[in-house]
Amino acid sequence: MAVEQAGLGTPDDLSDEEREAVETLLYRLADDELVLGERYTEWQVRAPTLESDLALANIAQDEFGHARLWYDLLQDFGADEADLIYERDPADFRHSTLVELPFEEGDWADAIVRSYLYDVAEDVRLEALAGTSYPRIADRVGKVRSEEEYHQEHAQNWLERLADDEEGRARLQEAIDRLLPYALTLFEGDEIDARIDDLGIRTESLDSMREQWFDIALPFCRSLGLDTPEGIREDPKSFLPEQVGRDGDHTDDWRDLHDEMTHTYRELGRTEAHKIMPDPDETDE
Amino acid sequence: MIWEVFRQEEAGKYHTHCGNVHAPDREMAKLFAQIQHGRRKPTNSLWVVPKEEIGEVDTDDAAFGGTTDKSYRWVMGYKDLDAAFAQEIADSESEQEAADRQKQAQRGDD
Amino acid sequence: MSGEREDSRMDIEQVKERAGPREFSPKDDLPEDYRKAATRMIQFHANSEIMGAYLEKPFIRQAPSLDRKLAFSAKVQDEIGHGQLLYRAAESLGVKSRDQMLDELAAGEGKFLNCFHYPMENWAEVPMIAFFVDGAAMRRQATLKRTSWEPYAHAMDKVCFEEGFHVKHGEDIMRELATGSKKEQEMLQDAFETWWPRIIQFFGPTNEKSTHHDFSADVGLKTMTNDELRNAFLNAYIPKARKYGLELPDTPRIRDNDDGTYEVVEEDLDWDEFFTVAKNEYEPGKGQINTRAAAQDAVEWVRNSLDDWESKGGATTPQAAD
Repeated sequence: MAVEQAGLGTPDDLSDEEREAVETLLYRLADDELVLGERYTEWQVRAPTLESDLALANIAQDEFGHARLWYDLLQDFGADEADLIYERDPADFRHSTLVELPFEEGDWADAIVRSYLYDVAEDVRLEALAGTSYPRIADRVGKVRSEEEYHQEHAQNWLERLADDEEGRARLQEAIDRLLPYALTLFEGDEIDARIDDLGIRTESLDSMREQWFDIALPFCRSLGLDTPEGIREDPKSFLPEQVGRDGDHTDDWRDLHDEMTHTYRELGRTEAHKIMPDPDETDE
Repeated sequence: MIWEVFRQEEAGKYHTHCGNVHAPDREMAKLFAQIQHGRRKPTNSLWVVPKEEIGEVDTDDAAFGGTTDKSYRWVMGYKDLDAAFAQEIADSESEQEAADRQKQAQRGDD
Repeated sequence: MSGEREDSRMDIEQVKERAGPREFSPKDDLPEDYRKAATRMIQFHANSEIMGAYLEKPFIRQAPSLDRKLAFSAKVQDEIGHGQLLYRAAESLGVKSRDQMLDELAAGEGKFLNCFHYPMENWAEVPMIAFFVDGAAMRRQATLKRTSWEPYAHAMDKVCFEEGFHVKHGEDIMRELATGSKKEQEMLQDAFETWWPRIIQFFGPTNEKSTHHDFSADVGLKTMTNDELRNAFLNAYIPKARKYGLELPDTPRIRDNDDGTYEVVEEDLDWDEFFTVAKNEYEPGKGQINTRAAAQDAVEWVRNSLDDWESKGGATTPQAAD
């Protein structure tokens, strides 16, 4: 995937402003994937069937693997994994609040709806990164996208089947009503977004990505007999939840989750995060 | 209709696909399969399955085993640890290495 | 094999005569005694995969690095996958369905390995399961590739293929702790002292005390005795424990035969506790069974929904012709 335009070059070539824009985008990407993967693992040993357990566990691992690739790009700027995950203040995480909400026991509809809403957004986002001006990102978009395709297909197939019976549809509806506002936070940003767009780090603005997402997700939900709120397209901001995540404002559930995730690291007084795999730059993946 | 045929060479081994036969029903498929696929190669058992009942997913549809580094789930991800202390671990390691080599070769062909 | 089968139902003597590796398959009309014994054994094995995964699952979240988290998630995933293979191998005996076996597990009637009845509280305990217990399991599973129930042996082919990763992953975690801070080393030693007797009991009581051994051996389901397996395990894993600086607790006493082999003094082990555990009457284990049962129950609606879909014919949706 050659980057045609002059491009931003290597991490060392970046000006402070460029670097800030790249970092802003990478934190969102990495944190979204990490926290979503973390939530998905709650279904391990608890999914409806053994086969569905295996599939969702695999999706969780894919998300962690993607997070790993994006965190690795942040490490270009000097931080290590411990700084980025284990020792970072939970208020400095930039993931959307959609991915941090816990699953209620048995709420498989939440898992599927959340996955669908996220995966469609992720596809739109990766599409907008395929032509990025930052070569380090461009190199990694393809392999991430390839795995996300399965995720979307998986969620879509589940939705079609669950929506086919009355109880399933009611549960899906409940999940959509609750999660759609949180899903909108995936398209929230801050003052740096204009720079991200100007620098061509992403080829679509957040607003335009949200439009594309609506174009796909809303008709699909309706085709399954699921309702989506009136006016959400016209005035998405008014549907946003109290915490949007992208600005570091999170639900209490995130603090608890971060606390659990870092429990062992703190208990053992670790100062670094152990690696098993080689650096992504050293493999031909 | 077409029936796919799976042959098991000897008891305890796996049934593997070996071909197919045209036949109007299951009984005829079994009769034809015995001759077409079991008359010369060592055969302990044959399965016949209607072709349209077989679902397929191939490398055009799927990236089997993923596209990002998954070495954490392979024995080889821990290669600085010796496996020879227990035969069964060493066996698992060599089976996984063989599977990985096959995968790499396949990827090379793409 | 054409025409009428004259010898349709084998009697147990015929089974014993024919018994050998991968000898019997769903085509054979096996006597009920065989099918029940095989079901009991494989169901126990399958249940153990699920309950082991249940026990380890919290450490996916608590793993102290992203790579460890990935490995842990993959490991727990594999165990569920092994459960899937094993329940199918058990199901193929025609005695119980997978749903029945999972319901029995939820109801506290399904039996499983002693080690998975105990709680796990910290990361230093992880290698006790992931290295020692998995290593013990692997020892046993390797011998079950030669079991007489062919579908069970086929399941073992895949399980053994995968499981080498588990043991190495467990050893890697142990090595990291053993070469870590003083605190980590102490936690590891504490965990070892707590778990070591349970690990040795993994293989069950000595052959004379085991109720099911003779029959299972005679019909080829088991290919090695508890004692043989335990001794083989000790011979391989005691040197490993020592390599990482772990000191064997005073009890149970271990006899060093000075030829690289070891034996345990069995009366030093708490068999009352073992049998309480085996009956699902041990307190922490009961809690683990019940919380897993609640989780299984909470997604009953999804399984019902899939069943409805299946009965409406969704399952046979033909794919486009080639």
